[in-house]
Amino acid sequence: MHTKSPLLEIKDLSVSFKVFEGDLKVLNGVNLTINEGEKVGLVGETGCGKTTTIKSVLRVLPSPPARITGGEIFYRGRDILKLKKREIPSIRRGEISAIFQDPLTSLNPVFTIGYQLQEIIKHSLRQQGIEEVSKKELKSRAASLLKETGMPDPERILKSYPIQLSGGMRQRVCISEALRVTVKLLLADEPTTNLDVTIQDQILRRLDELVEKRGTSILFITHSLGVVRHLTHRVYIMYAGNIVETAHTKELFSNPLHPYTRGLLKTVPKLTGEGVSEGIQGRIPNYLNPPEGCRFHPRCGDKMEICINKKPPLFNQGENQMVACFLYGR
Amino acid sequence: MAGKDMKSNRVYAKRVNISKSWYKFSRNPLSVLGLTVLIIIVLAAILAPYITPYPEHAGPYTNFPESGQPPNLRHFFGTDTVGRDVFSRVIFGYRFSLLLAVVVISLSVPLGIILGLIAGYTKRKWLEIGIMRITDIFLAVPPLVLALAITAMLSPKLLNQMMAISLMWWPWYCRLVYSVTSSLRNEYFVHDAELTGARKGFIMIRSILPNCVGPILTKITLDMGFVIILGASLSFIGLGVQPPKPGLGTMVADGAKRLPAEWWMTVFPALAIVLVILSFNLIGDGLRDMFAVEEI
Amino acid sequence: MTEEIMRVEGLIKHFFTKQGTVRAVDKVSFSIFKGETLGLVGESGSGKTTVAHTLIGIYEPTGGKAYFKDQSLEKDYSGRSKNLKKEIRIVFQDPGSSLNPRWSIKQILELPLKVHGTPVNRDQMKRITELLNMVELPPEEYLYKYPTTIGGGEKQMVAIARALATDPSFIALDEPTSALDVSIQAKIINLLIRLQKKFDLTYLFITHDLSLMRNMANRVAIMYLGKISEVAPTVDFFQKPLHPYTKMLLSSIPVISDDEEDLKPKKVISRGEIPSPVNIPPGCSFHLRCPEKMAVCSKIDPEMVEIEEGHTVRCHLYADG
Repeated sequence: MHTKSPLLEIKDLSVSFKVFEGDLKVLNGVNLTINEGEKVGLVGETGCGKTTTIKSVLRVLPSPPARITGGEIFYRGRDILKLKKREIPSIRRGEISAIFQDPLTSLNPVFTIGYQLQEIIKHSLRQQGIEEVSKKELKSRAASLLKETGMPDPERILKSYPIQLSGGMRQRVCISEALRVTVKLLLADEPTTNLDVTIQDQILRRLDELVEKRGTSILFITHSLGVVRHLTHRVYIMYAGNIVETAHTKELFSNPLHPYTRGLLKTVPKLTGEGVSEGIQGRIPNYLNPPEGCRFHPRCGDKMEICINKKPPLFNQGENQMVACFLYGR
Repeated sequence: MAGKDMKSNRVYAKRVNISKSWYKFSRNPLSVLGLTVLIIIVLAAILAPYITPYPEHAGPYTNFPESGQPPNLRHFFGTDTVGRDVFSRVIFGYRFSLLLAVVVISLSVPLGIILGLIAGYTKRKWLEIGIMRITDIFLAVPPLVLALAITAMLSPKLLNQMMAISLMWWPWYCRLVYSVTSSLRNEYFVHDAELTGARKGFIMIRSILPNCVGPILTKITLDMGFVIILGASLSFIGLGVQPPKPGLGTMVADGAKRLPAEWWMTVFPALAIVLVILSFNLIGDGLRDMFAVEEI
Repeated sequence: MTEEIMRVEGLIKHFFTKQGTVRAVDKVSFSIFKGETLGLVGESGSGKTTVAHTLIGIYEPTGGKAYFKDQSLEKDYSGRSKNLKKEIRIVFQDPGSSLNPRWSIKQILELPLKVHGTPVNRDQMKRITELLNMVELPPEEYLYKYPTTIGGGEKQMVAIARALATDPSFIALDEPTSALDVSIQAKIINLLIRLQKKFDLTYLFITHDLSLMRNMANRVAIMYLGKISEVAPTVDFFQKPLHPYTKMLLSSIPVISDDEEDLKPKKVISRGEIPSPVNIPPGCSFHLRCPEKMAVCSKIDPEMVEIEEGHTVRCHLYADG
């Protein structure tokens, strides 16, 4: 299915934000690995630090107020955090690309879709050392990119401005932009959250096909467990700036270990209709004074003495599952 | 028991709000500087009779032997053509400028707010169009020209100047409040107040208006400066504060005849105008930061 | 079922814009019975929110009739009686915009009491405390907070308290949890269900989330381009979906277990997007996306037919009954 060499490795990443009240310690030692050709999901609730994580990878965290207080991010063995300012764009426009929740903000409103796509293709070709491309060639490449995402009538779309398209079509454009030739890693931050289910279904299926075909790795960030189950090989569950569990997708859904994961799975309304259970008491902690030890302990039903003082590391459970909880190791 | 707890809770919440607002305002040291300068100017203007070295120079006073002196220790800003202390007159001049600004703002802002709220909130298209077209007509005429015409038509004195400027200042507030109101009127909280059965006046004044306060206050501080400069301009051409009273604009005009040799008669009143306008603008920037919504 | 509390007959709401007439709601009919939750599902642009906003009185209907316990709903809020405003309330979709950012929570809850309740100050305070307790927000902590300082879930709780303040019998819930996380959604949904039982409330529950609908509604109506295409009791709706659009929606849901996967209709691949309500396709408005399209579909708009008791569908496939 995929080879086992890591493409992106996040090690002990910690990020805090300075605000009026003090320091918000958002990321608290995040560890995450994406192998080549792997589709990875990162799931968590609003404010758990998902977006902060990928912003750190893309080096687009606004600083100040954000500050990376520790950790490393390796992309093919190179530490992204140590790159100089002028080297950053080459990463962002080269092998790593991203799509976001609101496609309108990532498209320039004053240029046609065709123009924007062609600029990106041109840049991407230049990185491969190809300088001269005919206009016709560019146009047909742009059209075929759009066609790949399942866009009906690409010729017309190329002539349109972003505002003239529906949300689903804009997201398709963003996906075609992101999946240009050189891309090895796609970071997708809730790309289908604002879309209707039928549109989401179409787009995700298309995205999946494209990624499979090209062997692109993808980090799919979402709060929807259902989407992750359909799309990914492996899932990371994030809570309050920590990875609390990771496993192969199938195992995670059939055998969730961390109390948070179990609670989260229970709260999702199901088509079988057994009511919605209130899986987790309380709410996400305040990052000014996050709980000591395991950040989940104030809400945890299985809390023990040790949880209050000591932060649990990721314990191996079987071959493909790791969980940060003292129920599974000391 | 609970009652007392809640009360202290409310007081506490207020205190946090105030200190947070101050934090946002004071993050820019320039706005603090502007505020400090303005406070000094206002205090000096209020206390002018007690702190100026020659308070009597603010009126019909002559002392020809001392006329035309350059800045020195007895007269920081020198003396004018009839021997009056420019420093004292500048401080007294601030009184007229600030009075003008306060009166104009307090006449024109309420009128602008009321009309803007009505035009922005009403569902009667003709009323909205009517108010906004009249506003546009006022906005189309350059303020100085209109004030000039009105002041010239009446007799040139401070009171008329105030009326004239107020008359052409309200449309700005009308337009500002109108634009905020017409976007807020479709917010769910306004719909909810309507559906609950609140009266129109209540919705406009209590529900919508508090959300306009930020932009209005910011505009007021910036406008104080503009009104002062407009007043000074009118005074400069003799349509404002009448001699021997010390209007800043009048002083600049009088001194301009003596340029460049006796520069202090013009430069100091002119700098005084610049200083007050600048401090208002710096405060305006700070207020804008203060009312801005924080995003993390 | 029991007493009919709201009856909607051929409700029409059109908006007249420069681009043309937006037929947001086009001849919609349904009834809501006392104590039940009627779910209204649809994609964005289907007109489900417009239905709710017309019924609660933000808009005046362009045509058709609607009644709440024999009181006509053909006027917008400015023409409605105080009693009607007390009885029909709404919880809006966006908790950010539904609470006035410059009002404290106490002030927010005071308004409905001032208009409808007792004017005596002390009783008012008691009632506000009671309302906050109802939605499980500790009053001493929340009374003087401002909406900007609390989370989305808490805002929505305040909005629910505000809706309850007038002691209504009918509440429209316009996607009350769509902006919230699942764990907070679970709390709010359960709270709403408890409150419904306690005060014998009737809900019109609007959402695009069918899994949530399955757990919340007694009956489900599905809307597409301003029209209702299928109405059924919830269990029927999910076990025996009839309309091709219903099947398409159901098969698009990302679910989290194999049990659920089994419930989804197979081999319905979603395609196309909902057209603009300015240019509604002729005939059945769904025919452009329909996998079971027939020749008649592009010409004649089907009528609503009842297949079983309480299960009606508007599709030519079932035209013969």
